[in-house]
Amino acid sequence: MKALARKSWPVAAGLLSFIAITALLFGRATPSVMGFFAMLWKGAFGDGYAFSETLVKATPTLWCALAVAVPAQLGLVSIGAEGQMYAGAIAGAGVVLLFPHQAAWFLLPAMLAGAAVSGGGWGGLAGWLKARFGINETVVSMLQNFIAINLLEYLIHGPWIASNSGNWPETAEFPRAAILPPIVAGLRTHVGLFFAVGAAGALWFVARHTRWGLAVRVLTSNPRVAGQAGLNHPAYLIGAMALGGALAGLGGIMEASAVQNRLESNFLQGYGISGYLVSWLAGHDFLLIVPMALVMGAILTSADTLQLNASLPASSAIIIQGVLFTCILGWTSFVRSRR
Amino acid sequence: MTIAQTAADLFISALRSSTPMAFALCGEIMGERAGVVNIGIEGEMLVGAAMAFAVTAVTGNPWVGLLAGAAAGAALSVVHGVLCLVCRANQIASGVAVLALGAGCSSYFGTPYVGRQINSFAPFTLPGASPGLAAVLRAVSPTMVLGLVVPLALGVLLFMTRTGLRWRAVGEAPAAARLLGINPNAYRWVAILLCGVLAGLGGAALSVDYAKGWSEGMTTGRGLVAIGLVVMTRWNPLWTTPVAMIFGAAESLSLSIQSRGVGISPYLLALFPYLTPLVILALHARFSRRQGTMPASLADILQPGT
Repeated sequence: MKALARKSWPVAAGLLSFIAITALLFGRATPSVMGFFAMLWKGAFGDGYAFSETLVKATPTLWCALAVAVPAQLGLVSIGAEGQMYAGAIAGAGVVLLFPHQAAWFLLPAMLAGAAVSGGGWGGLAGWLKARFGINETVVSMLQNFIAINLLEYLIHGPWIASNSGNWPETAEFPRAAILPPIVAGLRTHVGLFFAVGAAGALWFVARHTRWGLAVRVLTSNPRVAGQAGLNHPAYLIGAMALGGALAGLGGIMEASAVQNRLESNFLQGYGISGYLVSWLAGHDFLLIVPMALVMGAILTSADTLQLNASLPASSAIIIQGVLFTCILGWTSFVRSRR
Repeated sequence: MTIAQTAADLFISALRSSTPMAFALCGEIMGERAGVVNIGIEGEMLVGAAMAFAVTAVTGNPWVGLLAGAAAGAALSVVHGVLCLVCRANQIASGVAVLALGAGCSSYFGTPYVGRQINSFAPFTLPGASPGLAAVLRAVSPTMVLGLVVPLALGVLLFMTRTGLRWRAVGEAPAAARLLGINPNAYRWVAILLCGVLAGLGGAALSVDYAKGWSEGMTTGRGLVAIGLVVMTRWNPLWTTPVAMIFGAAESLSLSIQSRGVGISPYLLALFPYLTPLVILALHARFSRRQGTMPASLADILQPGT
């Protein structure tokens, strides 16, 4: 109990500073400061629809956070989740546009597999460049984001533009067979959420109870022993980046299929950085990531409400995330360094 | 138009494209030389660009705008300093926090200035110059000159002064520097603030001089590309100009192909400035024989566990 208190008070201090700074920055937008936070809460959890929207936004955030957390087990810093999501969404949509008339039993698995392979290759490329040439994976994965975004723009402005869109950059709507079903009819929350939570659980199990998890722990804690045990560091490095990329790719195509029903401009904007913050705040712990992603989904959703009701610009969401991350990172690091 | 003139045009447009990048590169080099990695440089460029544009629009004086942009970059870099030096947070994570704050704040406060017009710098003129020279002078802007001078000044500071020696010592071996009576944190604070000033200037050069406009996220990854290209400069400010020209040439080439109406999608051409550094980094890593120029204290941050 005492240990828990010692561990959690910096987080609590971080949350308090976050509330204070947010109130200072945005409190004037509503008649009272309390009203501001009430509006935040109601925007994210106020009714069934709001909660559903929170879950909708938590889903890609969770996939991105997993894509950051997997390489982080090896000490790798990937900031490329957004690009990996786009890479997955592009390949998955390619499968759908190639076989628009197939039945769901074929189309859905093929679409998801295409997305996972493409995202995995996209992430694995950064791992390979690191393993082969020693180029920093953080830098490569950041550059890849811009490449993936421009590839998407090229496709939806050019070869993949819908014939009936009136030059609006988007692909044709996916056929019904390629759309992931919602959990509750009429709300946008989709089964991708179950897959994401399942993936988090599976990753926790693999990290904790399999020889791969053990190998990763040996590789990070004692490289010399790892070498003597014959563990192949480059293979694990490329594998971790590729697995992370595959997870992000799945998240990308699920968002495209279930929420947008097509590819659009910038439809995943911001999820990469949100996912990074979530994974970091959770200490790259696969189970803690799930509630943290829910919190991030709530922030993103209530920022939409702020935009609507308090006419704050959309960028408030990213400021709120930045302040939250700064406060918690600052307090936890400060307390750890003085211990 | 003669070949020499075309070549000069291409060179000058590449130089113009590379100026914001040159400032960012200098900032990142000076930071890393003192042992501080700053991923948030992109965010600092964004607040610099937004602030410089807003101040230029209000005051009508681009020089005041440049100063304001530099100040905004420095102000945001204080967050990085507090997180890294006071709280001893992980530098990469801290940089991402700065990146998010910079992107958010620049967009939040910059929105009213989207689409505004400004009076940028007046072109250089020289009475009695030949037409060719006058054309070149017109194409050169003050920030381009500044972008060429600053790396030289920083190179002199870093390699020819006592301060520079200490600066590098702090980046190579902070523990040894402390034994010699140097306070590493003091040097790192100065380095972080200088990096913020230069990143802010880079953003300001972009919005006030290069684009003459502000739009959300207008740096389009320049700061992030700079972090990659620092490796190519071998952490030497004197290499900044040629390395920044890699990005500048790629960008101005893709823009000039686009403006000639060649039937290639602008989005494919836009890949060029990102693919080029990636390929060059790979080639550099493959063929470079002189490894180990990286400031030694960065190894803990960039390559944990190796």
